[in-house]
Amino acid sequence: MKQWGIWLVIMMCFLSGAFVLDAALGPPAFATSDAELQAVQEQWQSSAHALADVNCSSCHQAEQTKKFVALPTQESCKSCHTEAVDTFLLGKHGIRIQEGESPLTPAMAHLPMQTEAQDRVMNCNTCHDVHSVNTQTAAVDACLTCHNDTHSQNFQNSKHAQLWQQDIKLPRPSAQAVSCATCHLPRHDIGTKNKPQVVVNHNNTYTLLPRDRMAKEVCMNCHGMEYAFNSIFDDDLVVSNFARPPTEKLTTLEMIRASETKRSGN
Amino acid sequence: MSQNVQVPSRNLFRKLGRLLSIKTTVITLCLLLTVWLGAAFAFDHKTVFLPGTTSDGHVLIEASCASCHEGFKPVSNETCLRCHEAEMATDAHGAKKFRDPRWAGDLEKIAALTCTTCHNEHVHTFGRSVNLKPDLCMACHQGIIEGDLKSHDGFTADGCWTAGCHNYHDHRTISTGFLRQNLDQPDFLPLPALPVRTVTSKRDTAPKPDLKQEFQRGPA
Repeated sequence: MKQWGIWLVIMMCFLSGAFVLDAALGPPAFATSDAELQAVQEQWQSSAHALADVNCSSCHQAEQTKKFVALPTQESCKSCHTEAVDTFLLGKHGIRIQEGESPLTPAMAHLPMQTEAQDRVMNCNTCHDVHSVNTQTAAVDACLTCHNDTHSQNFQNSKHAQLWQQDIKLPRPSAQAVSCATCHLPRHDIGTKNKPQVVVNHNNTYTLLPRDRMAKEVCMNCHGMEYAFNSIFDDDLVVSNFARPPTEKLTTLEMIRASETKRSGN
Repeated sequence: MSQNVQVPSRNLFRKLGRLLSIKTTVITLCLLLTVWLGAAFAFDHKTVFLPGTTSDGHVLIEASCASCHEGFKPVSNETCLRCHEAEMATDAHGAKKFRDPRWAGDLEKIAALTCTTCHNEHVHTFGRSVNLKPDLCMACHQGIIEGDLKSHDGFTADGCWTAGCHNYHDHRTISTGFLRQNLDQPDFLPLPALPVRTVTSKRDTAPKPDLKQEFQRGPA
């Protein structure tokens, strides 16, 4: 009895100690060498940011106090990219930041992730490399840096990837190129008829599940309804990243066709 | 004689000693448990307080108790909508539906206007974070698979949403009207309907980069 008690006491002290130690570790220090600064400036000089007059101070200096900001957060991005950041924070990628937790890392994920990427920290810069702001990298390569499930791995050999290879244009992917982002971080027009405003929905969970939402929001941008439904509800086809045309014939669609025939009296 | 006196007193001491050691152990353990839970709370290791498995959707924020809980109050719809507004934008089973006197009575079968009726957290769920049994639709829609209204003859009671055909909150895509309207479309639409994003540059070349000194010095 006594021995058992002593062991429990030791164990609890150890666990409590681990909490304290964990809390004591602070953020890393920051300083930039000339070489690093030079490299960053070169990346930035040909970026869309530079040509839009977004200078170092636009992100690295607090607007009100003019205080230097070493590591700007999504709040800085939000001052121009409101919809992107707002939606990012609602998906699995950003929700931990929104809820005041440490940012997401692949180590926390339940899906298979690349071993060497386990400790990468998820924020805007992870996919967008904010100094070069290359939307092509963000649309495929950034995803595959971490995601290692079969669907992701099979993208490279898919018909969609062929379209992507054929039509990569700077400064950003065209409407014909199909990337990971085309389906999972899709574009929306939130503007008016006369004044379109195309934004990217960065809530990565919204166009993922349930699949019927994907069919409408994404697949049907390029495919007919029946093709889209017969593809998205075929598990093997999803895993293969749509390697072949759909062979599924959904009962739902047969029922609709039957009721339509009955209705029109043919 | 002296032996007879010593035996009961020795027993008494032994008993007292044993009682004390049990008491001390129990008190020490309670104290340590309090310290341990206190440390977990103070140093942000709140997962030790989780009463059960968290759903896939929320598992990444399971240690952020305050995201959903305000003290010990029940979780409110407002809390859920803080993040799920987009999913609920066209809720097919929303307040508007049940204002109709034809359906108002159905709320007595399932309290459908309270998120946590179907989406209770930290308990077993059957997919889509739904804790009610998959045949939950039958509470109101039994007539679809049997009876006068049957249009789904031979379908099972638990397949409505688990098979992927129906979406309780969102009927935009899976509704008879939508499917009927979009029958017989070509596999590949003539033109992709994806919006194009264009960038208008303000300048032809980059401006002179600023803040050089600040970067070299680091933050104050």
